[in-house]
Amino acid sequence: MHNEEMIKTDKLVYKYIRIDENNEEHSLTALNGIDVHTRKGEFVAILGRNGSGKSTLAKHINALLLPTKGAIWVNRFDTREEANTWEIRRKVGMVFQNPDNQLIATIVEEDIAFGPENLGMPSAMIRKSVDDALTAVNMSAFSLSEPHKLSGGQKQRVAIAGILAMKPNCIVLDEPTAMLDPSGRREVIDTVLRLNKEDGISIILITHFMEEAVRANRVIVLDKGAVVLDGTPRQVFSRVETMKGLHLDVPMAAEISHRLAAEAHRTQNIESVNGNAEHTRTSNERSPRKFNLPDSVLTIDELITALSPYRPQSHTARPSPHEAPPPHRNPILEVRHLTYVYNPSTVYEKKALDDVSLTICRGEFVGIIGHTGSGKSTLIQTFNALLKPSRGDVLLNGEDIFADKKKLRSVRQKVGLVFQYPEHQLFEMTVMKDVSFGPLSMGLSASEARERAVQALLACGVTEDMFEKSPFDLSGGQKRRAAIAGVLAMQPKILVLDEPTAGLDPRGRDGILRRVKGMLKTFDMTVVLVSHSMEDVAALADRVIVMNDGRIAFNDVPQNVFCHHKELEAIGLASPQAASLMRGLNANGWAVDPNIFTAEDAYKAIHNAITLS
Amino acid sequence: MVGVIAFIIVLFLVNNPFGYLFTLVCLLAAVKASKVPFALLLRGLKGILSILIFTAILNVFFAPGNTVLFSFYKIRITQEGLVLAGQMALRLCLLIIGSSLLTLTTSPIQLTDALEYLMKPLKKIGVPSHEIAMMMTIALRFIPTLMEEMEKIMKAQTARGADFDTGGIIKKAKGLIPLLVPLFISSFRRADDLAQAMEARCYRGDINRTRMNELKMKRPDYATALILSVFAACVIAINIFFELL
Repeated sequence: MHNEEMIKTDKLVYKYIRIDENNEEHSLTALNGIDVHTRKGEFVAILGRNGSGKSTLAKHINALLLPTKGAIWVNRFDTREEANTWEIRRKVGMVFQNPDNQLIATIVEEDIAFGPENLGMPSAMIRKSVDDALTAVNMSAFSLSEPHKLSGGQKQRVAIAGILAMKPNCIVLDEPTAMLDPSGRREVIDTVLRLNKEDGISIILITHFMEEAVRANRVIVLDKGAVVLDGTPRQVFSRVETMKGLHLDVPMAAEISHRLAAEAHRTQNIESVNGNAEHTRTSNERSPRKFNLPDSVLTIDELITALSPYRPQSHTARPSPHEAPPPHRNPILEVRHLTYVYNPSTVYEKKALDDVSLTICRGEFVGIIGHTGSGKSTLIQTFNALLKPSRGDVLLNGEDIFADKKKLRSVRQKVGLVFQYPEHQLFEMTVMKDVSFGPLSMGLSASEARERAVQALLACGVTEDMFEKSPFDLSGGQKRRAAIAGVLAMQPKILVLDEPTAGLDPRGRDGILRRVKGMLKTFDMTVVLVSHSMEDVAALADRVIVMNDGRIAFNDVPQNVFCHHKELEAIGLASPQAASLMRGLNANGWAVDPNIFTAEDAYKAIHNAITLS
Repeated sequence: MVGVIAFIIVLFLVNNPFGYLFTLVCLLAAVKASKVPFALLLRGLKGILSILIFTAILNVFFAPGNTVLFSFYKIRITQEGLVLAGQMALRLCLLIIGSSLLTLTTSPIQLTDALEYLMKPLKKIGVPSHEIAMMMTIALRFIPTLMEEMEKIMKAQTARGADFDTGGIIKKAKGLIPLLVPLFISSFRRADDLAQAMEARCYRGDINRTRMNELKMKRPDYATALILSVFAACVIAINIFFELL
């Protein structure tokens, strides 16, 4: 690794100034005296919750924003000097969050050529850098494709290629994977890692995903516009309490090891207060009191190794009996032999659903997982008659939802569907008006609609002081919750949520999931949650449906689905981390239940196993 | 591209059957030369079939004329009307085939580049040719994206009880608000993002910009221009010839 300076900031301050209708100035300090110093060839991950100043910092590196106070040097160029701007942007490329909004041309290779063309490179050289860049991101086969026909991960790789073609020495990526599914995320991160290792390009990656940050050389944590932590992933993620205090996650292995160590430390202290610590230590070799885990466990494998000295002396692994599926309660929604074909009898014909049958029972929490293109979005759109299947029936309370066209609206009211990024559908002047839109269009009176809206908003955690605000003045997580309230206010019998946590920071994610679980009881609803995240589904759902290639691969209680980890991996899905940990321990001779899907349960199981021995 | 524009103009100049026959033959030759499968072009025609029939009927019924073939009540069908209708339909067909030939053989980028190239002389009198071309490129790029987005918003609002199909004009227009507001907001957001992405990639307008695929007039291009001129001359000659008759 070189020791040359890449980026240096000196008490960098940035204030957003907004002038409102009354001509009053509002300023918001996004960066508050940041001192960061990175070297060439480093892979730096920047973490922080929404509004911590991450994106603002990223835009400074590319001279898209200039410091209000302080200074930043990129490749030793001061961004405040206008003459340096183009040199800085040539050497530091930037990839943004939304893959759709950064591709300019209608053909992939033309888009990649955009940067070099702006630099005034001769045509032949452009051709060569475009081809090289396409090869570097493994997209050569798509050089003549149209961007809107690519997947999210492919679009982001094209965006990276567009920067590579300018021969930069640093790439700044601002949450490049927030809108992608797990396989797209992997594509992008693998590409970035390779560029860093093989071509020595410095990487600055802003992310909410801890498993991406773990792969960096260095992690910087921002909060309220200042640097809070700065170090290797090991150092940063060992500060579990600080991270949690900032509403950030740490990798599961780090969290469990930290809690075990803290618990052991606590008991140790109690023992020493009682004055018999000496005695216990000598008498009980394998007790948790002599617990001494390394402070820096990052991955599951590391945790398993670190725990191995404490393996309880019980004998064989005890695989828990397979749980029988819950007895069938009253079915509320039945899908029978559903087939859906897009663009039938044209060259674009595509079978999205292929003979799918399933039943959802009243009061159930069903999780649907599958990668992009597995047919899950198509499936849920048939639930409320937005799409009419090519073949097969959808029965709501035993009635065919397509039988009577006049009843479609009442079907849609009974089956509430929350789309991905529902906040993009907000349109009214105030939050209250927006949420009342659904109930009003159902024909309810203004007061009834308001009552329902209030109820829904409160259930979604939108407090009263926000009711009369414009929905566009809310934060990302609040907007999302207000939008979900818009569907909830119709008081559907079934609430279907498509990726409700996509693009949120860890805190926003937890907030929404916790509330959805609560709604199930408060509103006496049935919930269907579509997600990429195994963790979310495993922790919440009573039953998991796995979709693959338009068919149902699994449909069972979580235990019986996630035990098929090999089959799941084969279709591009991973089982929850906690389950992998438990399996690993089992393989090492621990007698722990392999059917554990949350960090909390995993911690308890390990703790019990150690204490019991 | 210039060729197609010329072709369109010529098409409207044609006013007699022999002219049409000649144009058709030339067009078929061009289709053959372009190697675009003919079926694909015909499929393009299918899409506008309804418009074609509609204009033909309009022409049949309402074109002025004296030679009444058939009259019923106030409706008269005249010979001139029929001829005009036939001509119009044929003209539209040729027009569509001609222009789809262009879009099927030439990428939008090449088109906008060509536009920029053609407008270069206008730059001297203050027409921002580069900016116009860039705007067209971006518009072409975002049409499918925005269509997708519109469909998504429409579905989402339908799921919330919005109704885009029933009711009178006023109700329908009102019903569009939940669709248009989010669509505009997202377009602005996209525009903002895109502007930043372009700046980040060193875009600064036309200054010192090169192209990966430079447009240069090559031999085939000159040949095409020549053939087209001959073609136009022939059409005009045929026109004059028939007028003299």
